[in-house]
Amino acid sequence: MKLHEKILMHYLSCTSPVDKEGYLYKKKERTATYHRRWFVLKANLLFYQERPADRHLLGVIVLEGCSVRRSESDGQFAFSLVFEGPGLRTYRFSAGDYQTLESWLKALLSASHCYLSSLLTDLQRQYEEAKQQQRSGELHHSSSVGTFKQSQFFLPVQGSSAVVREGRSLSTGPVLNAPLGSSKVVTKKSPKLWHRRNAHVTPLNGPAPLYGEWPLVGFDPLEEFSKLHDYYGQEVKRTREEWLRSRQAEEERSGGDLINLG
Amino acid sequence: MRFNEKELVSLSRQPSEKAAELGMRGPKKGDVVKKRLVKLVVNFLFYFRTDEEEPIGALLLEQCRVEKEDSQTFSIAFLDEAEKKYLFECDSEEQCGEWIDCIIKASYEFMRKNLIFYRTEIHRLTGKDPLEQYGISDETRFQVSNGLQLMTRDTSSL
Repeated sequence: MKLHEKILMHYLSCTSPVDKEGYLYKKKERTATYHRRWFVLKANLLFYQERPADRHLLGVIVLEGCSVRRSESDGQFAFSLVFEGPGLRTYRFSAGDYQTLESWLKALLSASHCYLSSLLTDLQRQYEEAKQQQRSGELHHSSSVGTFKQSQFFLPVQGSSAVVREGRSLSTGPVLNAPLGSSKVVTKKSPKLWHRRNAHVTPLNGPAPLYGEWPLVGFDPLEEFSKLHDYYGQEVKRTREEWLRSRQAEEERSGGDLINLG
Repeated sequence: MRFNEKELVSLSRQPSEKAAELGMRGPKKGDVVKKRLVKLVVNFLFYFRTDEEEPIGALLLEQCRVEKEDSQTFSIAFLDEAEKKYLFECDSEEQCGEWIDCIIKASYEFMRKNLIFYRTEIHRLTGKDPLEQYGISDETRFQVSNGLQLMTRDTSSL
């Protein structure tokens, strides 16, 4: 199969953001040797070359259909990308230290197109809910013209298929005390999408156009997200505790953003 | 450049909502229209000879321009080479429009921008960062200022 490499290289060199880059050791297939390579993660593509300044790209790994796993049997800071299926391979890596390992694991776990797609679907739902609440809040006021803008009104989701399963939330599951030291920890299969009809995506400006279908790859969001959240549960718990502590201080201030989105 | 071919071929066999036989023409002078099974999976456009298991090729749908050429034909241009277009002939205007829509929205960069939009808006409306519950609020790929990052690499000698 021909992969039009120039298109990939062009994408790599264009001004869209690089999601992560750095040195990792990559294990040569079928041998015990590791080579140090410079990796660049952009979208769902993991490029690698010998050195950052190199013009010659050694290769690329398309990150769809793989799970990201720590593989301690290979070493203290080792991890692998496991492609599931007959004849498909496993890419093995080693980071130099714990921080590098954790940072790459996190970045790779959220790299796939499928992941982004399901995340986007969820955020879309949250956005619609937030707008609904804002609208119902406004309707309780006396008819003031300014705030209720028809142009921002979302087209209702058509079709009968249950796109968003109410009552199931994608929030963090119970926090498990699963330290990174355990052997079969971070597994995430590339999530499959549930069927969507007339999904809406709002462009940066303007009203929401009718949306086409997302490509269908089988998916159970709860299964995959709960695994993901088990892993992140620790961090979230910490973050929430900090937030609760800082909230008291914040209550004095008016309109201060708790989260700086830049 | 090496790539995970088997895995990509396996990806091309995943079920897709957008797969159809279209007339496809390459960008080079002298390329003619050929009937191909065109299939959209994630941000790749795979194209097969009809009834063949393995795709002939895969086109990454990033940094490309999709345009309507006439009522039933659309084109995709890559590498900022506006003249070098892949042409796709559809059976109807409706089908053509749907393909254009789907291809644009399949782009990872397009999705990223929308995610950032939703994130910002939800925060504005609710005061909460929706990515916090997933523990990914500090991931580079979801940062609000992301679109302004400039990363240029000279790969002209490749």
